[in-house]
Amino acid sequence: MSNEAVLHASVGAHHEAHGDEHHEHHHDTFITKYVFSQDHKMIAKQFLITGMVWAVLGGLMSVLFRLQLGYPESTFPWLQDILGKWAEGGKITPAAYYALVTTHGTVLVFFVLTAGLSGTFANFLIPLQIGARDMASPFMNMLSYWFFFAASIVMLSSLFVETGPFSGGWTAYPPLSALGDASPGSKSGMDLWIISMALFVVSSLLGGLNYIATILNMRTKGMSMTRLPLTIWALFFTAVLGVLSFPVLLSGFILLIFDRNFGTSFYLSDIFINGVGALPNEGGSAILFQHLFWFLGHPEVYIILLPAMGMVSEIMSVNSRKPIFGYMAMVGSLFAIAILAFLVWAHHMFVTGLNPLLGSVFVLLTLLIAVPSAIKVFNWLTTLWRGNVRFTPGMLFAIGFVSLFISGGLTGIWLGNSALDIHLHDTYFVIAHFHIVMGVASMFGMFAGIYHWFPKMYGRFMNDTLAYIHFWVTMAGAYLIFWPMHYQGLAGMPRRYYDFSVWESFKQFGELNQFISLVAMIVFAVQLLFLFNFFYSIFKGRRVATLNPWGANTLEWTTPIRPGHGNWVGEIPEVHRWAYDYGKDGKEFISQDTPVGADESHH
Amino acid sequence: MATTATATTTKLWGGGKSPFNVEYGKVMMWYFLMSDAFTFGAFLISYGTIRFSTNGWPDPNEVFRSFPFAPEGVHAPLVFVSIMTFILIISSVTMVLAVQAGHNMDKKRVVNNLIWTIIGGAAFLGCQAWEWNHLHHEGAWWGSNPFLNHDGTASSTNFTNYFFTITGFHGFHVFSGVIINIIMLIMTLADKFEQRGHYLMIEKAGLYWHFVDLVWVFVFTCFYLI
Amino acid sequence: MEHTTEHHEHAGGGTKEIIKVTVILTVLTIVELILGFWMIDIPLDSQSLRLGIKGTIVILMMAKAFYIVAYFMHLKHELKNLIMTIVVPLALFIWFITAFLYDGNSFRNLRNTYDPHFKEQSTIKVEKKEHGTTEKHEAAPVKEHGGH
Repeated sequence: MSNEAVLHASVGAHHEAHGDEHHEHHHDTFITKYVFSQDHKMIAKQFLITGMVWAVLGGLMSVLFRLQLGYPESTFPWLQDILGKWAEGGKITPAAYYALVTTHGTVLVFFVLTAGLSGTFANFLIPLQIGARDMASPFMNMLSYWFFFAASIVMLSSLFVETGPFSGGWTAYPPLSALGDASPGSKSGMDLWIISMALFVVSSLLGGLNYIATILNMRTKGMSMTRLPLTIWALFFTAVLGVLSFPVLLSGFILLIFDRNFGTSFYLSDIFINGVGALPNEGGSAILFQHLFWFLGHPEVYIILLPAMGMVSEIMSVNSRKPIFGYMAMVGSLFAIAILAFLVWAHHMFVTGLNPLLGSVFVLLTLLIAVPSAIKVFNWLTTLWRGNVRFTPGMLFAIGFVSLFISGGLTGIWLGNSALDIHLHDTYFVIAHFHIVMGVASMFGMFAGIYHWFPKMYGRFMNDTLAYIHFWVTMAGAYLIFWPMHYQGLAGMPRRYYDFSVWESFKQFGELNQFISLVAMIVFAVQLLFLFNFFYSIFKGRRVATLNPWGANTLEWTTPIRPGHGNWVGEIPEVHRWAYDYGKDGKEFISQDTPVGADESHH
Repeated sequence: MATTATATTTKLWGGGKSPFNVEYGKVMMWYFLMSDAFTFGAFLISYGTIRFSTNGWPDPNEVFRSFPFAPEGVHAPLVFVSIMTFILIISSVTMVLAVQAGHNMDKKRVVNNLIWTIIGGAAFLGCQAWEWNHLHHEGAWWGSNPFLNHDGTASSTNFTNYFFTITGFHGFHVFSGVIINIIMLIMTLADKFEQRGHYLMIEKAGLYWHFVDLVWVFVFTCFYLI
Repeated sequence: MEHTTEHHEHAGGGTKEIIKVTVILTVLTIVELILGFWMIDIPLDSQSLRLGIKGTIVILMMAKAFYIVAYFMHLKHELKNLIMTIVVPLALFIWFITAFLYDGNSFRNLRNTYDPHFKEQSTIKVEKKEHGTTEKHEAAPVKEHGGH
């Protein structure tokens, strides 16, 4: 029997099974519906809410270490109440400070902006927008979430061990990560960190393979690749990046585990530890770990950013009531970014002793990223141009994303030059750069996605007034926090320092640091407002009354207001056109499942 | 819009079917193997990087020179490992034959060939266990390297570190491949595939098994030959 | 459904092909081994010859990999789309390997230049076993210390 025949047979059976479920009876228990659910929409919500929990924890950590940076002379007795010995006398200890910085980075990069962002929206949007009843393998999809959940539990438990969580920075460079004697955080906290990250790699592989197979194989009739909404293209490249780069990180971690526990010296050479003496490990190279780490680490940046780009493209087109400008250019630039993402990793390592000639090749490749990025930016701007823009909260966050992407992206051109990087490496300039372009911008993409698809997720709207407050404070706050950091970085202020007030050269920034910390706290408080809005609206929000509240073309708006498992009640709609027929032939929008009329103009 | 032209292209990518004409499981298996190739690739490239940044390296012909049941001190480089290589190649061949038999719905031949594949895998693991044990007795292990460099200078432990880590990781893959094949054998014997009307699962297990063989081609070259 | 039947014909590949590929793989492996045995007798100083042989072995390795992937894993009989999505990402390995090895080599030069201890270590010959010939393939030195 040929593959194809099998394929059709099994798909048919699949549909039938789901059909039964819908028309006849619901026998979902609480466990199968909300906990071990195999419905992609529920799994998406699980990813989202777990991601939110981590965002709050990670955000809170940043507030705590900003307290130390902003008010290095003051003590806060309440800190001792919540942190115990880590804030003896109301002042965060240096060990705790590094632990907070490290966990903040790890959690936000991997758990919030990878799992929470692409985990949520890939799960939610892929089947809905390509016209499939569920993922290719709903079971693997469920496993993906539970591996992430396990990773979360392990990471959480590392916060409570005696010697504290890992504190050598989210990049986990050896020797701090490889030698238990190197620092308190390098002991069991690091073991738990590696276990957690290994589980996370498994989760992202299971998820990524599923996303790729689903997008390739499960598109509904007529949904050719060039009719896919840009969200799906972005999520597709995100999954490809993850599937090809996370395994390299896993290899790096396995070697690290051997260095930690089995006396090898892959990453270790010529090391002397105070109180322990010279170590016998010879012949390894710490730079090797950095190579392996950044071979994932750089694609990871795009794993975080691409889903946001995709959602912003979609939301922007819907709310400008205009087709996206340059659809194929958008796809092409996503593709170019995905390829370049694999070729530029060593630009994080210019000052490690990397070969200068090799470094110059990496400079060249890095600067090439500016081309597809610029294409995307201009296409977003031209999509807005003369559009009939509706400033919904989702749209505001999408525009905010573009603003942040430009501001943060431009400083990337500075940092991509190896000569400039000698001065700027490991300063607050870098902090400002990646927080704006990757951190806050992707958070904006995530907020845009949540506000835009909330009606589809829960059948209700979020409150607009709270959303507008949330947007404007976050937008202003993001710039007020990170813009000044550029100046600090240019003045040479290094990142990861515990207390700048003891440095004559950085004393001048004392008040600025205080200001940044103050704004950080306000912005954090406003995120709590967002969370309140989110959870309140799930239960009490304004109900969605029509199938297609935004007047969008994509297929998710052809499902019932609260779609069950299987998404469409009857047949899956067939697709006849691309996703961006807005304002065509005098019609405001034409849904993808509308057949092409006889007298319709070409786009 | 060209609706009538290029019928085949629309057929492949037009949605409603797989553009590759294969079911999703096989697509996933292929991409999983791709990602696993990057895992192994990262290991082997790390090995290469460390070897390039080290001033000398042991001669594999000095290290891997023994043979089971041969007298101590025998010098037979490359012999044992070539036997291991052929065992794996032959087990790959029997796996192809099993897959082919599955295409023809020939249960008996599937069972036969699967059994041979499992025997081959087990034999390979046995050889590897013997070799590890032998090296261990010579004092080689993670973090200890009794061998000298080619030119007689002291050698870095990274030679044995990488050898045991990478062959160990490969051996782990062989082991899981054998387990998968045993499961396939049990499912075949239980007529699971006859009931389904196709042996596609065997095909996917086969892909995995060939991948294990493929990795060995690289490991064999990198550690024993060059 | 004419496509289905066509695909079905291709899918088998045939026992003949399997035998052919088995023979090719065997021959390639034997050639590799011959080269390997040859290399044992080539002194370390003739570097370019050793490098040439190693290069040939790597090429043979790639050929073996090709035959396994193309015929045993059936990739050659799949649709071109699938082939491309597998082969194209593998091209990333080119830069992956080049950059890593180049930097590894550069790191060794750095250490040899700026770390006298490192350089010195790699010139001191360690005591060898019974007959003190400097090279070649007598039995390797077996130091009796258990690293367990």
